[in-house]
Amino acid sequence: MVGMSLLRTAAAFTARLNPLKRTCQSSNLLSRTVARSEQVVVRYGSHGKRMFIIKPTDFYDRRFLHLLKYYILLAGIPVAALVTFVNIFIGESELAEIPEGYEPEHWEYYKHPITRWIARTFYDSPVKDYEKMMALIQMEAEKAEMSQWDSHMPPGFHPKYLKLCSEDEQSFYRFGTTWGQLQLEVRRHMREKGDGPWFQIQTLDKNLIDHSPKSSPDN
Amino acid sequence: TTVFDIDNNKKYFIEHHINHDKDVYPEPPSRTPVEDRQSSLPNPALILSKLFYYSVDLPVTTFRDIVEGIQSGKKSHYYHQKFRRVPELTQCQEGDYVCYYEAEMQWRRDYKVDQEIVKVIQERLRACQQREGPSYSQNCYKELQQFEQVSKAFQSRYGDLGAYASARKCLMKQKERMMAEQQQA
Repeated sequence: MVGMSLLRTAAAFTARLNPLKRTCQSSNLLSRTVARSEQVVVRYGSHGKRMFIIKPTDFYDRRFLHLLKYYILLAGIPVAALVTFVNIFIGESELAEIPEGYEPEHWEYYKHPITRWIARTFYDSPVKDYEKMMALIQMEAEKAEMSQWDSHMPPGFHPKYLKLCSEDEQSFYRFGTTWGQLQLEVRRHMREKGDGPWFQIQTLDKNLIDHSPKSSPDN
Repeated sequence: TTVFDIDNNKKYFIEHHINHDKDVYPEPPSRTPVEDRQSSLPNPALILSKLFYYSVDLPVTTFRDIVEGIQSGKKSHYYHQKFRRVPELTQCQEGDYVCYYEAEMQWRRDYKVDQEIVKVIQERLRACQQREGPSYSQNCYKELQQFEQVSKAFQSRYGDLGAYASARKCLMKQKERMMAEQQQA
């Protein structure tokens, strides 16, 4: 330990005596005092010297972040406020047993008031959706069945098709129709009831088109 | 003999936050002995619990009470929908697509219900394991057996049907199962 401090003082001494690093060659070499120079430490009254710091532009990054925050908060703050007020002042519903003889409305199966409002205002009831789906399935099933009729059977005897016709049509179709006539009839029904987008747009009668040659192309 | 006692804060927690069945998720017997302090140094557990109580529990509870005070009265209710049973896929005529649709919808509802049943049984087993600690395989035997039975049944019925599962595929799986059983017997 003592050796270390001795070494340290020796090292400091030799550093001071280093001819390459000697600041002044005066008489205070062997003493431990530091030479006082005439340079004074500058004390600023402001925040220091203004520096012109050169760095790559952060304009685009900052603009992007600013716009991101702006557009997110533009809708975010109203929505957050709305949801907070709904949760505090209206509050969620409580679970209850269905009372006897009471059929709850379709929105009364949800808990949160906003979900209930959406179900009440915009959505059809699931029962209605179910029935709509079943109606579509039944119509498609009937069309599929109609297109697969056995060509050997006389058309008039098919009970499902007879139900679609009126009384006199029924008597017409019971006897003396061919499959071609029946197919045309089916196609007429499909056009009227709409089998695809091109059948649902009413157009003018094709017989009104004048096919005679004209004097100029854009007549 | 030592005397067992429940910590005051824990009692508060229990009284205010129970919404499950006490028989299914029983509280384990408390093993904390009554304190018999000899030193005058403060108890760090007590300090921390008091800190938690005053910084988190009390503000949250008072906020909740204020909000409930605002919302008192004019409470609306919501219900659980009850569905009627319709004929299953095996009871439908061939070509009756409407019957197929209704059977499919009913099968999907039943699938969801069975998934929730499995989740409840899993939750019970998890709670039991948490309660019993290292000796769960001995103390939770009933829950273990129940879970094993339920998950085996679920796997055999709905097991590898995949994301596009349907009533038809489930029926075909059942048919395969019955054929395998018959071949074994």
